[in-house]
Amino acid sequence: MDLPVQQFRTKAEQGFLDAFAKVEKELPGNDWAAGLRRKAIQAFGSLGLPHRRIEAWKYTDLRTRLTDAFPPLLGGHVSKNALAELLGKPVAKLPAYRVVIVGGSLQPELSDLAALRAEGVEVLSLAEALEGPLSWVKDHLGKINPQSDDAVIALNLALMSGGIALKLGKGATLDKPVHLIHVADNREPASSFTRHVIVVEEGASLDLLESYASLGSAASLGSTVTEALVSDNAALNHVKLQVEHPDTTHLSAWLIGLKRDARYNGFQFSTGAGLTRNQINAGFDGEGSAVNISGAFLMRNKQHCDTTLLVEHRVPHCSSRELFKVVLDDEARGIFQGKIIVSPNAQKTDGKQMAGALLLSESAEFDSKPELEIFADDVVCGHGSTSGQIDEDLLFYLESRGIPADEARALLIQAFVGEAVELIESEGLRNVLNRAAADWLGVKLDETTIAS
Amino acid sequence: MLEIKNLHVDVDNREILKGLDLKLPAGEVHAIMGPNGSGKSTLAYVLAGKEGYEVKAGSITWNGEDLLAMDASERAVAGVFLAFQYPMEIPGVATMTFLRTAVNAVRKARGEPELSTPDFLRLVRDKAASLKIDAEMLRRPLNVGFSGGEKKRNEILQMALLEPSLCVLDETDSGLDIDAVRVVAEGVNALRSQKRAMLVITHYQRLLDYIVPDRVHVLSDGRIARSGGPELALELERSGYAEFGGAAA
Repeated sequence: MDLPVQQFRTKAEQGFLDAFAKVEKELPGNDWAAGLRRKAIQAFGSLGLPHRRIEAWKYTDLRTRLTDAFPPLLGGHVSKNALAELLGKPVAKLPAYRVVIVGGSLQPELSDLAALRAEGVEVLSLAEALEGPLSWVKDHLGKINPQSDDAVIALNLALMSGGIALKLGKGATLDKPVHLIHVADNREPASSFTRHVIVVEEGASLDLLESYASLGSAASLGSTVTEALVSDNAALNHVKLQVEHPDTTHLSAWLIGLKRDARYNGFQFSTGAGLTRNQINAGFDGEGSAVNISGAFLMRNKQHCDTTLLVEHRVPHCSSRELFKVVLDDEARGIFQGKIIVSPNAQKTDGKQMAGALLLSESAEFDSKPELEIFADDVVCGHGSTSGQIDEDLLFYLESRGIPADEARALLIQAFVGEAVELIESEGLRNVLNRAAADWLGVKLDETTIAS
Repeated sequence: MLEIKNLHVDVDNREILKGLDLKLPAGEVHAIMGPNGSGKSTLAYVLAGKEGYEVKAGSITWNGEDLLAMDASERAVAGVFLAFQYPMEIPGVATMTFLRTAVNAVRKARGEPELSTPDFLRLVRDKAASLKIDAEMLRRPLNVGFSGGEKKRNEILQMALLEPSLCVLDETDSGLDIDAVRVVAEGVNALRSQKRAMLVITHYQRLLDYIVPDRVHVLSDGRIARSGGPELALELERSGYAEFGGAAA
């Protein structure tokens, strides 16, 4: 018996629709951009926030968890002191072309756009890119490996205010990575919507770093979408470091498209946000390409972190590798969903994924859901998932060398996470991430000392 | 002086050591031999403080200090060192990081200043060279991809760096070819001193050709069944452990 389904909107869903109506006129962009936004908000309106009956959101029911639509922030800023504190951190000190985005607004005076242009890179703020769009922006914005049934990505497109559009020309490389520094302006409850469009042209190679930090402590929502196209024979090394306030909600999607003989290495390191959704969607549209997606997240208290990957092998002769390391303490919840789809014609596909979790408390929970949808008959695909506690034999080995139990435990957790971090090529970046892991563990050690 | 009195130890509710008595003065090297299952490794782990080894009765003191009251890291600080029969592989921990963490943890706990990076590197290089451990090996993750001989040499390197006063070597010769045994034994012999006591646990007599003990004890069914001079090891090599209830290995 079919019951009539009554459509109703949650407070947050209605809130976002109302917010869009209210700020639509203030959002950057010409008629073309306004058209994109209106289509996107319509899509969001009919999809609604994702909930647990949508398989890709099974463990992160945004309909229940997002109770408020915080007002979208246009023109966020932070104090000079606060920013100086942030930029004093090791991650911000890495040699890079910096692009600073505060509360979803690009800060031109803090960003190295001119230096990038001097290197021959085409780069615009998203606001500029939406005003009089260049053909390459028009061709790619909202079109790189689009996930048309994803309401969060649609909402981001409707409300996007900050970000960059960047194109690295044929055969080009840069002497330093491009570093997108995202600062949540959460002095009061607000939401921000950031979108980046990255095009790496034929034979070019780009190192892209995204970092996320919060300086305030009010509840806030940050939504970021990075679209990146890796053209024939091009390479993109893409790393994310997310260390945010526990009252923050972080919704992120990387939409990656690969042409022929392209290389994509993605890495995500996270210690939260309170609620984190890190989504990576990579799609092969050219033969002979490879993606490596790896990462680590460490969560405690009631933090929730959901990493969801979708790799679509649409053409033959491509390979994908995924490795994630998860550390969960207290009542934290970690989710790893890795889906590999192999189309009927995508013969000779080679896909492997692995997720491992270390549970430091009996109340922590790890949900791992690998999914293989294989429609071709000549492929190699595999997945694995482990979860367990710290190995007591290893712990004893370290303790027997005079290393106190707490320190030994921290060393083993670092080692566990390190297996993923080692996959990053840049030593400078590896050091920053290892230090972020140590910071996380350091806090833990202090707490233990206080408790005992 | 290591003094073990009437030691009873259970593992998984099974009695393994059944009233073991042993005296090992500083400056001496004693060998513990015995058939499989006689409790040799249990004795090594109990000395080092591994969890899951339940001491039901008896005492262990080292230079008058009650070892059983200390956890594993405290025993290391007090001078106890166990060279493992099967050293652990720890991917993700660089050997150098591990060595430095251990050396400085022990120095700190003993009230000595931590070593600076150059001082530490010099110390490791010197000790490593005599054990034929090269820089490349030290750059690898701890024991990962090490051959049996490399692992055991790495154990002796740790022993040399931590400067323990009581060394317990658990089947250090197992899985080694004769050249590797020689290198390891030379490393151990270099550490013999008047202040240091060594307990060499081994199933075979071979290692004792290179590390010549002052005394040999035969462990059988959880107790010391017989003690003697180095000649006892040779006798066992000829006659086997049959008279001590051991099956042929």
